[in-house]
Amino acid sequence: MAHDSRREDYLRMSLRFALSLDDGDPARAAREFATFGRRLARDRDSLPQSDADRAFSLVSLAADLIDYRLPFADDAQAETLVARGRDLLSEALSLDPDCHDATRMLFSLETPSAEERSRFLREGAEKVRVACESARDRLCDALDEARRPLGASVAMRPWWRWLADLAECALICGRNRESIDAAEQLLASDPHDLSDVRFTLAYALAKLEDAPGLARLAERYPTFAAPRAADDAWIQISQIALAHKSCRFADARQLTERLLATYPGSAGVLVRQAEIPDGRFARIRVPAYGEDELVVAVSEGVVLLMEGMERTGRGVLGAWVARTVSELSGEKGSEGASAS
Amino acid sequence: MNAWNELVERCARRRNEKIGPLSDEAYAELVLAVRQNPVDFADEAPEQALLVLARALDAWRASRERDDLLADKDYEAEHARRLAALRTECERAASIDPDCLDAHVTALLASELDPDPLLSGLLALERAHAKDEPPAGDAWDDVFYRPHLRLRAAVARTCLDGARYRMAAAAAESVTSVAPTDPLGARHTHMLACARLEDEDGLGVLEARWAGRESAWSHLARVLLLYKLNRLTAAQRALRGFDRLCAGGAYALLRPAYVEPYLPDRPEAAPCSFEEVVMAEREVEPLITDVPELIPWCQGHDWLVASARAFAERNDLDW
Repeated sequence: MAHDSRREDYLRMSLRFALSLDDGDPARAAREFATFGRRLARDRDSLPQSDADRAFSLVSLAADLIDYRLPFADDAQAETLVARGRDLLSEALSLDPDCHDATRMLFSLETPSAEERSRFLREGAEKVRVACESARDRLCDALDEARRPLGASVAMRPWWRWLADLAECALICGRNRESIDAAEQLLASDPHDLSDVRFTLAYALAKLEDAPGLARLAERYPTFAAPRAADDAWIQISQIALAHKSCRFADARQLTERLLATYPGSAGVLVRQAEIPDGRFARIRVPAYGEDELVVAVSEGVVLLMEGMERTGRGVLGAWVARTVSELSGEKGSEGASAS
Repeated sequence: MNAWNELVERCARRRNEKIGPLSDEAYAELVLAVRQNPVDFADEAPEQALLVLARALDAWRASRERDDLLADKDYEAEHARRLAALRTECERAASIDPDCLDAHVTALLASELDPDPLLSGLLALERAHAKDEPPAGDAWDDVFYRPHLRLRAAVARTCLDGARYRMAAAAAESVTSVAPTDPLGARHTHMLACARLEDEDGLGVLEARWAGRESAWSHLARVLLLYKLNRLTAAQRALRGFDRLCAGGAYALLRPAYVEPYLPDRPEAAPCSFEEVVMAEREVEPLITDVPELIPWCQGHDWLVASARAFAERNDLDW
């Protein structure tokens, strides 16, 4: 799952294209559609699009630069990438002042403080919901029956990303109940959990040491219609945290073994526990059960790992996980290489 | 821990059991006599061990008085030396009486372990020295039971340091439920755990139960809870209250100081005094990781910074 800005750009354009086609002539519509992909790639401007579609396409370009290229850039490149990303987002906003993704990403780029970001997201949330819902209703009125679910989903996604961002920011700020509320609100609006907000929810529940809540979340996985079992790194790290927090060390060790088995060859990630920047568009897209997914989960998991008065600065759980994984896998970590 | 007072009480009780029961007046006379010269009355192994511990704790406290004169490096060496000396004496006490729980607990706490190994050490001591039932009434009144309460309170604090907030709350509750006067201040640990768990009802119950006995911890717990629940106007009011009612509250919050390990329990301090605030701030420290922007948020209030600076100037502290 996860948000894919390029795919979403494609979906938006294809919906717009569908709206432009003559309903009365299905054969012609099918012929036109056959050329859509090529035209989108080579001659985008020949396709019908609104300012909002143009703005989103700029958001998609900015997301590529900021979320996928920036983490691998050196300092000089980084500056250029950020400047270019900002320009794209500003341009998107000048085309469509209601481009909520651009507003959110721009604010996030300009505001290092998670506290300020979460305030901004909280204060803007209702407005964004209302705007997305009315965009959805307008779009669905125009679309035929078959395309309505997709249209509704695409129209609501900026709001879903807004809520997912709010849930993550609240978690970083230590506002775990707020994080849970935002996540539940998102799951109610998108039971398919395109945003994978259940991952953030798992961490927030673990932070509150809410074992029944976490167990219920695992049971709810099938109802999210997300094609994954409750064995992603987030819920597993949350379960390890709860076992460790209640001194069930044998359980915690067993759960760690299970995590290593789910993410084979990724022991080093759990030993190093590096922090990477969060995606600004959305949580970055990585293959399920790959090493990169564990990197993202561990990075978001520092809120759990780093707690407690521990000498090396890795946190009580962080130090325990690093030690246990080293023992289980033979992976050596540079001692004290904290995720600061 | 006032080891001398407990030694006197224990010696008097033991003597009373041997020669008594004495009348109240006679018992009071006996206590006075023991207080004059407890060494003469410490004729059983448990009291002899406690005597060794009392002297060791005195020596440890006395050696800290010279700290201000030491450079950082010398301080660290001195700090390690005196903890080692204290551990040696604790071992001596435990060799006189293997059941001297305070000596075991103090030695463990003086080892400066990380929360995980410290907690398993403390829990192992609880298992090894388990008591069937706490005494009836306020368990604190039984001087022979106090070491168990001190151990439980240390477990609660260690859980808090180790990011085990539900265990911290449960351990603290188990102290206050048998010793409702709570001279060990386990309620403070409990309040901080509730704040960290964003348990507003839990903190409310504790505040009501200890109404009129507000402390640096209770004020800080309220600030933390409201901040975490994102009720920032109320959090700001609570912060102002904390600063007004706790001496040097703002200063301690913005300039956290190193606090020596509690050996074996939290030193006594007047409620809401600067000494208490400094300890409370140290105990809150592990919770600050959870709210990384709390301190910057506090610093954003000019009146708080001004109050901290004024306190520093009045008391000749670094700013």
